[in-house]
Amino acid sequence: MNRSLTFPCILVLAAAIISSSAETDNEIEARKSALDVAGAFTNDGFKIRDGHWCGTLKPQTHALVAVNLYAGNQYWFSVGATEPAKKVAVSVYDEAGNRVTTESYDAGDKAAAGFSPANSGQYFVSVDLVDGQEGSFCLVYSYK
Amino acid sequence: MIRLARLSLIAVVEIISAASGADPARLPADQLARAVRSDSISIPTPGELFAALEKPGKINWSGQYRPPMPMTYRNRAQIALNLGGLIADGFIAVEAKDSQQVKNIGSDIIKLAKALGVSEHVLSRGNSINEFAEHNEWDTLQEELEATQNEVKSSMQSHSDQDLIILVSLGGWIRGTQVVSGAILESYDAGSAKVLRQPALVGFMQSKIDEISPELRNEPLVKDVSQQLTGIQKLVSFPVGKAPSVDEVRKVNEAVGKVMEEIESKTIAK
Repeated sequence: MNRSLTFPCILVLAAAIISSSAETDNEIEARKSALDVAGAFTNDGFKIRDGHWCGTLKPQTHALVAVNLYAGNQYWFSVGATEPAKKVAVSVYDEAGNRVTTESYDAGDKAAAGFSPANSGQYFVSVDLVDGQEGSFCLVYSYK
Repeated sequence: MIRLARLSLIAVVEIISAASGADPARLPADQLARAVRSDSISIPTPGELFAALEKPGKINWSGQYRPPMPMTYRNRAQIALNLGGLIADGFIAVEAKDSQQVKNIGSDIIKLAKALGVSEHVLSRGNSINEFAEHNEWDTLQEELEATQNEVKSSMQSHSDQDLIILVSLGGWIRGTQVVSGAILESYDAGSAKVLRQPALVGFMQSKIDEISPELRNEPLVKDVSQQLTGIQKLVSFPVGKAPSVDEVRKVNEAVGKVMEEIESKTIAK
């Protein structure tokens, strides 16, 4: 196995294990799922933040998480969810609450949104449960 | 593993589509106010800040080093603030691709973490930092530094030291902003200067300091830093879309430099 890939993989696994003391099994599963999505972007030079947010999504509701981003960087916000949540969606809003145009990845219980902010400052990541019942989710993000 | 990663990437590329449009075009202010804000995801790492700065042109990262700081602090708040600053220094050394400097800083990080009584597990991170530096694993080192910081914070949480957590983050942000504003001043570029706009981030850190125990909040260093943060928030509150001028960048640099000096040098009794 390529050494440069081995170390990040060990780190990701270690991070998942370390976080286990504070999170439920479902949240750990959701985080693994989110890291699976985010991992794809590392091939394109994106670095995954160790920080993350896990919680519960209810039908027809969304979770809103504030992040602070820098103009000049590109970002991907990746989400994984667990059964019985079936389909999630990720969208991004600027500090005035206006929806930002993003690239999106949508694969049922995994989703991601990517964009390059023109301005530094606060943004809001919305995670929506589009289909299914209450389930755990986890949000991670990556940047380059 | 490589094959799996490639397959995942192909899958992502194939499924990328335009945004669904199912979400509202605008969120009301009351919803934005209720958004989750957490230390682990709402506060960017110094590495994120440095990544944004390096794109417009080459930065003299090694020129941003500072002399080694004393490892003899006895006040826990001062140790926490300096630990955050030291982690930012680690990110600078990674940007400079300077393995010896990374090792030196890694060793100091562990010393300060030890002084705070963090778990043995955190201390083993020092070996990892050394190993990654030895093999020039720069991307991995960035992740390791953030993981070390998060592990220190987790350890603080489990030792009922959660009030110190925000001080680690704050120390990192102040040091990162000092370095970035200094680098911008050396070679001003309006696009780069836009990274300094972070009023909500400073507001969030200020609100977290307001939540810590009155005893810690009233310690002279924490009180001073908190008061100066109010002024710094105004200095980084540029209008959306407007790049700060050279003079505005200089004011930010002087303000954070003053706080950093106090964090590093203030003599505190306990």
